[in-house]
Amino acid sequence: MESVIGLHFIDVIIIVVYMIGSLALGLYCTRFVGSAEDFFIAGKALPFWAVGFSIVTSDIGATDFVAVAGAAYTNGVSAANFDWMGSMPAMVIAAFVFVPYFWRSGVFTIPEFLGRRYNTGVQFVNGLIWAVVLFFMLAIMQWLSADKLMHTILGWNTYWTLAITAIITGIYTFSGGLTAVVFTDVVQLIVMYVGGFGLLALSVWKVGGWTSLHDKILAMGPAYQNHFKLLLPHDTTGPFPWTGIVFGLGLVMAVAYMSGNQVIVQRTLGARSEWDAKAGMLFGGLLKFSIPLMVALPGLCAIVLVPQLGAENADRAVPAMIRLLMPAGLRGLMFAALFAAMMSHISASLNSTATIFVTDIIGQIRKWAGKGQMSEKTAVRMGRLLTAALIISTALLAQPIGDRPSIYVYMQTILSMFQGPLLAILLLGIMWPRATGYGGFAGLTLGLVCAFVLYQTPGLFFAQDPFLFVAWWSFVFAMIVTVVVSLLTKPESEEKLRGMVWSSVVRDVDAQDALRERIAQ
Amino acid sequence: MEAMIESFCKAVFYPILAPIFLPINTFLGRVYQPWASICAVGLFVGAMIWVGLLLNKDYVNRGRSHKSVWTDLRLWTVISMTPHVLVYFYFR
Repeated sequence: MESVIGLHFIDVIIIVVYMIGSLALGLYCTRFVGSAEDFFIAGKALPFWAVGFSIVTSDIGATDFVAVAGAAYTNGVSAANFDWMGSMPAMVIAAFVFVPYFWRSGVFTIPEFLGRRYNTGVQFVNGLIWAVVLFFMLAIMQWLSADKLMHTILGWNTYWTLAITAIITGIYTFSGGLTAVVFTDVVQLIVMYVGGFGLLALSVWKVGGWTSLHDKILAMGPAYQNHFKLLLPHDTTGPFPWTGIVFGLGLVMAVAYMSGNQVIVQRTLGARSEWDAKAGMLFGGLLKFSIPLMVALPGLCAIVLVPQLGAENADRAVPAMIRLLMPAGLRGLMFAALFAAMMSHISASLNSTATIFVTDIIGQIRKWAGKGQMSEKTAVRMGRLLTAALIISTALLAQPIGDRPSIYVYMQTILSMFQGPLLAILLLGIMWPRATGYGGFAGLTLGLVCAFVLYQTPGLFFAQDPFLFVAWWSFVFAMIVTVVVSLLTKPESEEKLRGMVWSSVVRDVDAQDALRERIAQ
Repeated sequence: MEAMIESFCKAVFYPILAPIFLPINTFLGRVYQPWASICAVGLFVGAMIWVGLLLNKDYVNRGRSHKSVWTDLRLWTVISMTPHVLVYFYFR
């Protein structure tokens, strides 16, 4: 296949230097890994800026560059809601409600926190859900990057690209754990910003400025009249009606993602202080504000500059703009930005999946089998072995799992199916002392059933892909189930709840002591 | 397989769920601007008020190494949320 971008020798040099540099930085971080805490949560030594950078880089994949620009080409600025409405309010809630609990309780994973608050059943089910979902996401991301991006843009062989990506990200995540992931994330975000804003500046300049872009798009006809509206009517058949954006995305999916997603929360758990954990979230939110500017606005400019693409080829907007606007050298940098996004996304999921497998699945099975806790050495060795096994198995299964026509909707649907119930039990577990282990377990499992039924029953919502509404209503249902079952079962003991519910953590000094004792045990 | 599940859910659950969701859709279909913008901007402004005025100052800033106005996370919250409010106001 012909290269869509058309790389020059200088571009190839930039890409190779970048790949070797990432690998070297990741391997350098190996010297900081001595314990399980070092490997999984970076020895609790990360400053706020590293936490913030890493949260953003972990969240933005190479596919975002392509898919969000494509969505903006088709639906207008409403595609930016996922980084605006879907980030900042949720990150503030995460910073001041959830992060202090996770951080103070000294846990490695969200399922582990749920296990302490509810019971080991909730921990195991939650860990299993996240492990399976992250496994699928890893396979999908690798396939998307290798096939839809590298193969489509550069004409590279899909399987070779898959192998090279797996080897590079696998090696530095295997060796350096979260420290390597975070510090390569910082460099990768800087490269992404330089490439992304370079493309934005050239795009807007070529169109003739913002006012010109605005006027030209609106003059293109009735189909483009909503392209500069962030909030669309409820009865729109597209995927982003305002009710879904505010309730489904802003209040449920985003909060669950920022508070209950292991990939995101693991970065705050690695912060050197509670202040750094919270500040990292807020700093990440501010950084995320600029993401739609560099991924969605070039998509809008493409409507004017490459109108021949049409809606069916909208995902080719970014490659087309790179080819049209960027000179040699800058193309290599832009490609390095895409590669950076891809690697950081994969490495972040890889480290988090290994953490959940070791802590919540293998650790729990060992406990039930009466084998006791793993030693630090065993945990790190197992974390590394799992990292290697995961990257190999997901690379091998990438095609059967990831080769689907509408991968973005598929990924969002997977997330929406469990984020509502997960948020419901997290929120009630922290805010309501009366929530019990049975209540949490029933809320989580029946909430999942509710999400599945809503998704599989057509005709209930205007939107053709109603994942935002599935998330909202499964959240409401799981809340009701958890409350009802909790009220029908025996309350948890005060001893178990000390330091685990919001009121006691905020006001009770004794609870803080109990928590410190629990961590020390 | 997926088609079978969908037709099963349509036959079993649609008659139960439709009377709940269809009236909600009809009601929300009539509600658009300015309520959409008020709800969206309200989420951001509400979060700012919650952190800036309602939460305990010590709780918000617990763990900071040195006290100064620049390390006050209430200020960080307002600064990081303001650009979002402006874009929802601009693209309404």
